[in-house]
Amino acid sequence: MARKMLIRALPPEWDIEITQAGSGREALDAYRAGRVDVMFLDLTMPEIDGYTVLETLRREDLNCLVIVVSADIQEKAQERVLDLGAIAFIKKPVDAAKVQAVLKDYGIIV
Amino acid sequence: MDAGSVEHLLHFVVDRLEVGILAVDTEMRVVLWNRFMAMHSGKPPEQVIGRNLFECFPELPQKWLEKKIRNVFLLRNYAFTSWEQRPYLFRFHHNRPITGGVDAMQQSCTFLPVKGDGDEVEHVCINVFDYTDTALYQHKLMAAIGELESEREEQKRLIKRLEEAQNQLLQSEKLASIGQLAAGVAHEINNPIGFVNSNLGALDRYVQDLLRLADAYGVAEDALAARPPEFQAVAQLKQQIEFDFLREDICSLIKESRDGLDRVKKIVQDLKDFSRVDSSQEWQWTDLNKCLESTLNVATNEIKHKAEVIKDFGALPEIECLPSQINQVFLNLLVNAAQAITGRGTITLASGHDGDWVWIAIADSGCGIAPEQIKRIFDPFYTTKPVGQGTGLGLSVSYNIVAKHGGRIEVDSLLGKGTTFRVWLPLRHETNEAVDASK
Amino acid sequence: MNAPLLTQDQKDALQEIANIGMGQAGASIAKVLDEFVQLSIPRVLFVPPEEIPVALALTIGEGQVSSVRQAFHGSMRGEALLVYGDQRCNDLADLMGYDGKLDHASELELLLDVSNVLAGACLGEIAKQLGMTIGFSAPSLMADAVPLESLLQAEALPWKTALLVEVNFRLEQRSFACHLVMLMPENEVAALAAALDRFLESF
Repeated sequence: MARKMLIRALPPEWDIEITQAGSGREALDAYRAGRVDVMFLDLTMPEIDGYTVLETLRREDLNCLVIVVSADIQEKAQERVLDLGAIAFIKKPVDAAKVQAVLKDYGIIV
Repeated sequence: MDAGSVEHLLHFVVDRLEVGILAVDTEMRVVLWNRFMAMHSGKPPEQVIGRNLFECFPELPQKWLEKKIRNVFLLRNYAFTSWEQRPYLFRFHHNRPITGGVDAMQQSCTFLPVKGDGDEVEHVCINVFDYTDTALYQHKLMAAIGELESEREEQKRLIKRLEEAQNQLLQSEKLASIGQLAAGVAHEINNPIGFVNSNLGALDRYVQDLLRLADAYGVAEDALAARPPEFQAVAQLKQQIEFDFLREDICSLIKESRDGLDRVKKIVQDLKDFSRVDSSQEWQWTDLNKCLESTLNVATNEIKHKAEVIKDFGALPEIECLPSQINQVFLNLLVNAAQAITGRGTITLASGHDGDWVWIAIADSGCGIAPEQIKRIFDPFYTTKPVGQGTGLGLSVSYNIVAKHGGRIEVDSLLGKGTTFRVWLPLRHETNEAVDASK
Repeated sequence: MNAPLLTQDQKDALQEIANIGMGQAGASIAKVLDEFVQLSIPRVLFVPPEEIPVALALTIGEGQVSSVRQAFHGSMRGEALLVYGDQRCNDLADLMGYDGKLDHASELELLLDVSNVLAGACLGEIAKQLGMTIGFSAPSLMADAVPLESLLQAEALPWKTALLVEVNFRLEQRSFACHLVMLMPENEVAALAAALDRFLESF
């Protein structure tokens, strides 16, 4: 449901291929397979949580942009993910306008 | 109504409502203080408004309360306190100064976040509700529930005692029927023993006569100068049957048989004494030493392999008691004493009297009873013996029998050294007489 | 349960909304305690009330539980039950402004206070996401250290369905866990279902 809601909030004109991951491990697998340019990452996940995914990505040179999407809206959580290299924090429920703004800020979409 | 009069009305209501209403800003300064608060605290608004709440009321639990109020600012959500956990926030007199039972107005409070024009909470409004009446009712209710509960406990206790009494009744009925059986058997044995005994008496006399006859023959034989050859055969026969030994042994055989029979008679008599079916529930003047002796005979099988019995009886006056029941007590104590002994030991029986009381002591050199167990040994069904050896009722029944006699049982025990039970009984049975007199 | 009171889509939506509610509750707790709170993945279950003890036993384990009830009302009506294990939330005492050793009354007051924060934040956020407004009555103690199986026995709960949200917060130094159960009467579940449909349509 969370992924469905996020996908619906993405800009419709954005020409991309979407890979869905059910856990932190699946996300890392997809990243390592070279299928990820922009990652929307949740924090609370089974097996490997979002913080660990971020740390791992940073160790592995972080060749993608990570936007954290989470219900964990603690200020400290936001600070932590930005420190770990995420480009933005979007709180759930996802606001389509906010997603567009972030994507535009980083020149991902025009 | 125009806006002005609505505001006036609101202001009036807030001020006069029978609920404490105050509000503080983020600096904990009081910005609203209604009449209820002023009346009960004795501080009019002009002494409070604009000042820090905790300066005005240093007795408030500042650390906790300030945290609570700050949380309301932060979370923008209601918070509560309840008189049940915290009887009051502000210490006010209550409306039941005389009939009270509580020392201050019992309060439940609600903390309301009050937003300003934006989304931020600018004030926290605290409503103080007087719950004294509720608290008093609650206390009364709790007291009533407590009473009900203790009554229920009492009932439970009574039911348990009733069950115990019933079990004892069953046990004593069982004992009574065993006694009856024993007495019946004893009676049946008495008859054959009677005629065996009298036959044995006659047999003794006849044998003596026959021996005298044989002796006379011997004398006659010796007097004959020449012995006919038939005497050769008699001499041979005498040798063959070892006549000299026979005539000695036959007397001791008869004597032993008569002794044995006497013992059987005594055992039968003890059995009858012990059960006293004929007069089982009558108060009789009895010598406890004799009771103990006859019980010892009944229990001799249980004891003789385990212990040497040492008797140290003092002279006792007769006492008024139910002998069959007292025998039951002695039997229980004797059997327990024997069972407490592992290997071989001694059981010392002593008695004595002191004023209007007599006592019987039964001491064993057995394993002893641990201090924590002593207070339980008279409980029904309490047993430390292996399954099948004890019902756990012996001491409980004994205790009740002795109590019925107006007496008591004292226990003195040392682990590993042994146990002494001392039964104290009064000379006269007072209650019994009182009951008899009332008939 | 006979006919399902909510469709699978509605349940999924509620799970997501509960996640958001949990995040809000976690953030509130973090603000109140001024500590970073680690959130676990919330577990959301629909159970008939009589199965609540079984569902709770799975995560709380055996032992004694304490619980607080708090009614909510407004465009959605029901009761929230907050169930705690042996330790309750005594670990949070100093962070909530208590000094020294807690006496029994303070322990219960703390329990009520933490419950109020959690229920207010979690249910308040759920209602907000659904475009509903709800208010809360004062929380009250329902069970003070009783065996789990007797938790709901004494209470004749008229509620037909229960939404069980497992709240599990860990702080850096201390921990406490709590289960939040949202109970609603059948006709209120219908209002909830309608609100969930509106939520689903908005995407």
